[in-house]
Formats: sequence, structure tokens, C-alpha cells
Amino acid sequence: MRKIWAVVRREFVERVRSRWFWIMALVGPLFFGAVFVLPSVLARSGVKAVAVIDAATGSLGERITDSLNASGHFEAVRVPAGRGGVIDSLTAEVEHKRLSGFLILTDAAVDSGKTEYRGSNISGFGTIMALERVVAEAVSAARLERAGVDPRVVAEARRPIRLKTEAIGRAAGETAAQSFSLAYFMGIILYTAILLYGINVMSSVLEEKTTRIVEVLVSSLRPFQLMLGKVLGVGAVSILQFVIWGVGARVLLARRTAPLATGDAADELFQVPHVSGSTLAIFMVYFLGGFFLYSSMFAAVGAMSSTEQEARQAQQPVAWLLVLSFISMFAMLNDPNSTLAVTLSLVPLSSPIAMPVRWAAGSVPGYEIALSLVILLVSIGGVTWIAARVYRVGILMTGKRPTLRELVRWVKA
Amino acid sequence: MASPAPLLELDRVSKRFAGHTAVDELSLSVPAGAVYGLLGPNGAGKTTTIRMIMDILQPDAGAVRLFGQPLGGRAHTERIGYLPEERGLYRKMRVLDVLVFLAEMKGMDRRLARVRAAEWLERLGLAPWGPRRIDELSKGMQQKVQFISTVLHDPDLVVLDEPFSGLDPVNTQTMKDVVLDLHRRGKTILFSTHIMEQAEKLCDQLCIIARGRKLVDGALGDIKRTHGGHHVVIGFDGNVGNAAQVFADKQLVSKVDNYGQYAELELADGADAQRVLAALVASGARLSRFELQEASLHKIFIDLVGPDAARAEVVQSDA
Repeated sequence: MRKIWAVVRREFVERVRSRWFWIMALVGPLFFGAVFVLPSVLARSGVKAVAVIDAATGSLGERITDSLNASGHFEAVRVPAGRGGVIDSLTAEVEHKRLSGFLILTDAAVDSGKTEYRGSNISGFGTIMALERVVAEAVSAARLERAGVDPRVVAEARRPIRLKTEAIGRAAGETAAQSFSLAYFMGIILYTAILLYGINVMSSVLEEKTTRIVEVLVSSLRPFQLMLGKVLGVGAVSILQFVIWGVGARVLLARRTAPLATGDAADELFQVPHVSGSTLAIFMVYFLGGFFLYSSMFAAVGAMSSTEQEARQAQQPVAWLLVLSFISMFAMLNDPNSTLAVTLSLVPLSSPIAMPVRWAAGSVPGYEIALSLVILLVSIGGVTWIAARVYRVGILMTGKRPTLRELVRWVKA
Repeated sequence: MASPAPLLELDRVSKRFAGHTAVDELSLSVPAGAVYGLLGPNGAGKTTTIRMIMDILQPDAGAVRLFGQPLGGRAHTERIGYLPEERGLYRKMRVLDVLVFLAEMKGMDRRLARVRAAEWLERLGLAPWGPRRIDELSKGMQQKVQFISTVLHDPDLVVLDEPFSGLDPVNTQTMKDVVLDLHRRGKTILFSTHIMEQAEKLCDQLCIIARGRKLVDGALGDIKRTHGGHHVVIGFDGNVGNAAQVFADKQLVSKVDNYGQYAELELADGADAQRVLAALVASGARLSRFELQEASLHKIFIDLVGPDAARAEVVQSDA
């Protein structure tokens, strides 16, 4: 219909004209890039100065100190125990930031596995992981030797393996790391974009409501047509935004240089993946599905609020649903074929994020995609129907926000 | 009155909201070409009535007929211009774009809308503001823009809810001129107001409602005759004689406002003004003025609505 088209065009033109659209077009990729690169940057937190207080018998302390130094993550100094006040003076060093922390090593390490690390940054996840790895290796070597195993055999047994993974099927040729980073990346973009454009729809509804333009509009076209035009218009803006980002990313990646290509383990985890056409299609289909599903809810939220503050509160339940789907992404990444992952990629509220993530993380049978799309479409129909009824009553209401019971009455009316 | 088929008819329309009845079995009929005033105090149900006409609200009972069809405003939206009581425009949009968009909502062709919008802006002295954003305009200018959006698509029926509220005198004048021009061109105008002076100057037909019910409706002249013919203004020329006794006669006078040398009377039901004059002359009073006065619409309104607040009395009209 011509009027819906006019609503679509207004939403589209006004948004694309706005400064925000172009700021997002430029800043968006930077933001996503940061989300993408930051974990590896953070994980590579530089060389830490640590001390090892050695109260253990034998050469365990020396061995750990050497391995720490060899790991490249630490600069370790062995401090023999026994001197009084050594812990106090090292604590002072940590407080003065001359030392990241110190390890207290006793025979208990070998006997019962007990060691202690005190540091300024206990929660430095990468640091603790690396530290633990080194200590564990040294301790198990010490245990083996204590049991009479030849140190050379121990060294031979401890030689690390390198597992090279390669996906079979759709993602043939991609490494697991690439699949992982692609899935991770897609999850973040889906979550951010659905939330962002959903809230766009909400504020557009709210603007018409607070300025009372909605009265003129509703006397000219049906509320449902208005809502539909709005959702389609904002959706079109989001597609344009993606196209701009896509083209931008292509150009950037084509001339990508060193910073992303260092040989660090963390970088390996966050490699820039190859995005196939089918992945792109799945991404867009589920994005649009998720956008329609959530934006009609956001439209209803906008309609039942009278002020920005009210809307900000009222949109929280909807945003939580989305956050929940986002968190579920990590279940996908862990095991894309677990029952939980399969369920989440079929359930309509989470499938817009879960399915593309699962698709990118591993292969998904075609019938599951078909099923999940059918469920999603039916849900969009249902949710839009309910949202439209709330919207219809809400846009003309002023005053206090409706209670849940009133909402139910609106829907039934 | 032999009037053509009404352009707009409400047939016992009711609307209830949680707890109260906003409009109660309201019937009215707006002839084509009329300037029709929907009058009533605040909270009388004017806006609810208009919203039902415009299809923004659905009546709980009763029917709305527009242009001879049992359909509400949305079906005829191309032929109706609507100015809501609470106004607002897209603040970030350009003036010309807003006008074109709202005209498109009324089913107007985009290019034609653009031309017409420019003409209207020119006519109301806003031409240089066309490419500017709404929020760069003064409030008065925004009101003009909104008014343009109401009439841009050249509607046959213009519905204005409290059109003059919040307007400065210059804008009020501009708006009145445009309304009268529309009237001259045969358009029908329905507007609501609680300011009687405006209604008196503009409407030829009206309906007074209070608490959602109709108190009176019909042509302005008829209403004045039926409800206002019992008002007498008296001026004394020095000697008031025994006028006070005449004023106290409940057979003749129901209400008096006596200033000494000047008095306003309301005649008792069925009393003849000539008998009052005779009695005054007989009482020895010297009169400089004796005038049967048509009550102002304001007076009729207060008379009708005032007691309504206490008694909720419904006056049946002979429309």
C-alpha cells in the first residue's frame, strides 16, 4: 500500500540523513573490530615480573623459575625461603608495582598439589593460566622423578603436542579457530544490531506518541500499517548499514597489514575468518527474523510508555530476552551440537542469534535450519499480532504505564 | 429547516472508559457546508467525540455516518482534514518534508503535495522556512505548519479540536481567515471549543455538550431565540420609582442584577416584557433605556452548563 510505503520511506530517509547513521557507519566497524581484537590484545598482557619463594627441597624451585622465564610470559627470580620477612618485603614490592606477584612453593606442591600465588592482579586470567600450566608441568615432572622415572623419559613424555583441527563439510578448509572467531563475531554483531535497531523502532514510536502526531496518522491509516511501515523502514536502514559495513570490511581486509597477523596463540584463536555466501545468507535471514521479532516487541514497549525514562525501564524485559540469547551463544561455541545448543537454535527468541552462531561454529543439518526458520516465522506472526494490539491501544494512551493485567486486556480487546 | 443530507451524523454514540462514561448516547448531525461548533466545558467529551468521528477510537455503542456511509473517518481520510487538540510535528524533519509526508498519509500524490505545500507556505508567509527543520521554528510558526498539514489535501470536511487554544492573536486571525475561506468554498467545518465568543462569531450550527451528553443543538439563531429571548436591560433616568417592587415580582422576573441606575433582568417563564415595561412606568420610574436583548452564547452556555454541574439536567432540543 502506498501509505505504508510512505511510512517506510520517511523512516528510511530521515534515519539515513541523520548524523547518527553515518557515525555508526564509521564507528561501528571500529567497535566490532575492537570487540574482535581486544580479547587477544588483553590476553597478551606483556611480561610479568614474578618472584618464586622456594621452600621446597630439590630442584623444583629452580625448574619452575627456568620454565617461567622460558615461557616468554614471565620474568622470574628465585628467592630462597628461610630468610625472615621475605614475604613482607615481596608484598611491599608488589604494592609498589615493581613486582606482579610471587609464588610460594613448598614440598606440599609435590605432595598434595598445594601452592600459593599472591599478586596485584589475581584475576588476570591469562597470567594465572600460564602460571598454572608451568607449575603443573614442573610438579608432575617432579612427581614422576620421585617415583623413579628417568628424567629424560619425563622430558620426552612432556613434549607438547600441537593439535591441528580442520572442520569437515560446509566449513571445509577452515580451522576451528576460524570457525570459532566467525561464530563469536556474528553473535556479537547480531546481538548489537538487533538491540540497536529494535531500540530505534521504539524511540520512533515514542516520538510519534509524545508529539501526538500519532493521532493524525492513526486517523489516516490503521495502527498495524503504521507499525509495519516503521519496522520495515528501520529494517531497511539496518540492511544499508550492513552493506556499508560489509563493503568497508572487504576494503579493510583486502589491505590488512601486520597488526592482526602476529603468531601469538591468542591471535590464532581470533583469526579473521573467511565468510562464505551461505554464511552471509544465514546471517542476514536470521538477523531480519530476529529484528522483526524483537522490534515489534520494542514497538509495543514504545507504545505503552509516555516518556523516554519510562520506555527505558519498560524495554528491559525485552532486552533481557536478547541478552539471554546472547549469553547462550557461549553454549553454542562450546559444543555446537549439544542438546542445549540445538534447542536454543530452534526456540524462536534465541534462534536469531543461536542458529547463525551454531552454523558458523560447526555444521547444521538443513532440516534443522528449515525447522528453526518455520518456528521463527510463526513466532514473528504471533508476536507481531500481540505487539500490534498493545501498540494500537498504547499509542493513544497517556498517563501511567499499564499494568500486566491491563496489557492482557489490551491484547484481548 | 430543510437541510440537505447531513455530511456527518452521530447516532446515539457512547464511549466508556474504565470508571466513567465519556460520551453518552450523543446524536448530532452536521449539514454539508456548515461551520459547526461542538461546545462544552473541559472534560465534556468533545475530544472523545471527535476521536470517534476520526476512527481513532471505536464507539462502544451507536454509529458514525460520514458522507452518507456507515464508516468512520479513516475510510474517508482523503476527504477529511484533522487538527488534534494536542499538537506536535516531527521535530527533526524539514518543514516541507513533514507537510509532504502528512499529505501522503492522506492519500495525496507526492509531487502534487510538494507543490501545494510550497503554495501554502508562501500564503502564510513561511516560504523561506520550507527547507528548515521543525525545531528551528518558533511555536507560532509550528502551529501554522500544523494547520497547513490539516488543509493541504483540500479536504471536504475539516475537523479542528480546540483550534485556537494556545494561538497568539495574529495566528488566531490567520486561522479564522483560512477557516472562513474554506467555508466560502463550500467546505464543512467542525470544530470544538470552550471559548464561546469564538463560536458565536464563527459557527452557524452548534451543539453544546456536558458530561458526554447533549444539552442543546441546532442553528445558532434558533438556539438564541429559544434560549435567550428573556433578557432585558434597563437604564433609569434619575428616578427609579418603585422599580424594586416590580423586580421582586416572581411572576414577571426570575433573576435580577440591579446596579441602581442600571439593571439586567431575566424574565420569568411565560412573562411578557411589555408587562414589565408597563409595571415600571406605572411604578413611577423614568426610563432612559428598555431593551430586549439576545443573550450571548456565553450566557446560554453558562445557563445550560452551570446548573448541569449540579443537576446534570438534559435539555431536549427541537432540532
